[in-house]
Amino acid sequence: MRYYVTVAGRTVEVEISGDAIVVDGTPIEAALLTVPGTDLRHLMIGTESHPLLVRTGGRNGTWHVTLNGRTLLVEAIDERSRTIREMSGAPTTDAEKVVVAPMPGLIVRVEVEVGAAVTMGQGLIVVEAMKMENELKAPADGIVKKIEVAAGSAVEKGAVLVVLE
Amino acid sequence: MFTSILIANRGEIAVRIIRAARELGIRTIAVYSEADRLAPHVLAADEAYLIGPAPSAESYLRGDRIVDVALRAGADAIHPGYGFLAERAPFIRQVRDAGLVFVGPSAEAVEAMGDKTAARRRMIAAGVPVVPGTSDPLADAAEARQAAEEIGYPVLLKAAAGGGGKGMRIVQSSAEIESAFGSAGREAKSAFGDDAVYVEKYLAGPRHLEIQILADRAGTTVHLGERECSIQRRHQKLVEEAPSAVLTADERFAMGATAVAAGRAVQYEGAGTVEFLYQHGAFYFLEMNTRIQVEHPVTELVTGIDLVQWQIRIAAGEALNFAQTDVSFRGHAIECRITSEDPANSFLPSAGRIEWLEIPSGAGVRWDGGIARGYEIGLHYDPMLAKVIVHAPSRELAIDRMRRALTELRVVGVETSAPFHLRVMEEADFRAGKLDILYLDRHGDELTDFEPSDEELRVVALATVLLEEERRARRSITRIDHGDALGSGWSGRGGWTGR
Repeated sequence: MRYYVTVAGRTVEVEISGDAIVVDGTPIEAALLTVPGTDLRHLMIGTESHPLLVRTGGRNGTWHVTLNGRTLLVEAIDERSRTIREMSGAPTTDAEKVVVAPMPGLIVRVEVEVGAAVTMGQGLIVVEAMKMENELKAPADGIVKKIEVAAGSAVEKGAVLVVLE
Repeated sequence: MFTSILIANRGEIAVRIIRAARELGIRTIAVYSEADRLAPHVLAADEAYLIGPAPSAESYLRGDRIVDVALRAGADAIHPGYGFLAERAPFIRQVRDAGLVFVGPSAEAVEAMGDKTAARRRMIAAGVPVVPGTSDPLADAAEARQAAEEIGYPVLLKAAAGGGGKGMRIVQSSAEIESAFGSAGREAKSAFGDDAVYVEKYLAGPRHLEIQILADRAGTTVHLGERECSIQRRHQKLVEEAPSAVLTADERFAMGATAVAAGRAVQYEGAGTVEFLYQHGAFYFLEMNTRIQVEHPVTELVTGIDLVQWQIRIAAGEALNFAQTDVSFRGHAIECRITSEDPANSFLPSAGRIEWLEIPSGAGVRWDGGIARGYEIGLHYDPMLAKVIVHAPSRELAIDRMRRALTELRVVGVETSAPFHLRVMEEADFRAGKLDILYLDRHGDELTDFEPSDEELRVVALATVLLEEERRARRSITRIDHGDALGSGWSGRGGWTGR
């Protein structure tokens, strides 16, 4: 079975059949164990030791993997599912440029208008939470398509604030 | 000595105070909000009392309820920790009027230092050097503009009632002053209930150094050396160390003597911190914090003096049993404040349940924490979860030890600042001791870019594929068993080798 694994916008190919595992063309030996009674996994690649913490993600094939203090959202799809996805025209990666509220809070200020061209990293909206003002920045270059909130509105975690195109 | 003490705080500092009191043989009384019924400080205390709903204004800031609980519980004293009621003079009076002991300075000393403009005037009178600026709060943006032009840009707008970076803005030019004045005032109002703001000269690249002092009731005042806290984000300290990599013994002596003079000027009692900006050998009084500070452990580690225990002993009327000449410094200590903020995402607060927690330990590592596995991190309180503190014979060894400790820390459920701290420990300027308060402005991008390395990518990809295979194998076995429990030899949580 061939998998395409996407992490932070990069894709790794992993082929697994019987005992043989090939990562981006290189054959390797690996074993994944669970430390009994815990959420801790241990990945042994050859003799390299990698403790990891894992949780299942929102949908099939997605996992949250914590490595070196960072939790990464990873998606693994097999070749067949990928082909089906491509034929159905669904995007193979999350291409949406949506800014959501990372925590519940109060919108202090909206710094852009619909139709404005923004560059990656530009401030869009200021949210107050934990008594601090936090500026949310554009995840990519684009044009502001929609603004879903106004100054003074309270937002829940995950609420869509700005849509870019 | 007291027989019992009430701790009017939560989180790591409440746990810290409980530990200190218990070692002194004092019964510990915790207070908690509805959100904190199972919080570590409640579990650690001998007794615990509910004082109100989750918002701190209805619980940890309700001085009246806390004093009532102290009287009902038969406490002798109240320790405020830091934040919340620690620097509120009316609360100190309330405590003393109820016949209880407040562990800390007098209400008058807190007032004298709490009003930053009055403190400036008093320090100028006591011969303590200060940064040029206004001594009075600004009436409006126009006055701010005028004062800024007299002092010369860049200037710093600061909340008169403030601390901890809230209500503070650096203003580079007259074009920015109006909006900065507005937002500093708004933030000050929401954080402290007072929108008074003043302005001072902003130094180009000073270091933030502070001196710990300890004073007993008889007026014996000593200093315990400096802490370097230059690594800050929006004036919130992120990494602290003792001693500073640059201070000479003579400079330490001069700053220490100045800090002692500042304390004496307000008849200070207990543990306090005098903050300075330091640039090219000169230092300027910034403010005095009339409480225990978050970063107190680095001083404890290099001096061997337990500051929280001394706070309690001084409040109970004990005299210091050592003199300035008895204070010596050993090795180097570093503290990293682990917060529930995501360094990869502009340090945005992260909420959730702590699903997994592994605490660093081993030689020279101290964990002052206020979290536990299963504990819910909400948005009601400060995002600081815990502090990792290390002690080693030299600065270089302390950095390596911190790096090792941070790799042992594992938290799942919320994003934490730990990966950022790990990057700092590896960064060349930090390792060389080249620090000032603009460190993060210069290095922020490289320290918060967490693009996975090729190696990490490979590990994560492989793990995910093996997890997928495991899930599929389990599903197909479940199918063979007609949907019964998992087949024998396959346990949902048991080990499985990817062949």
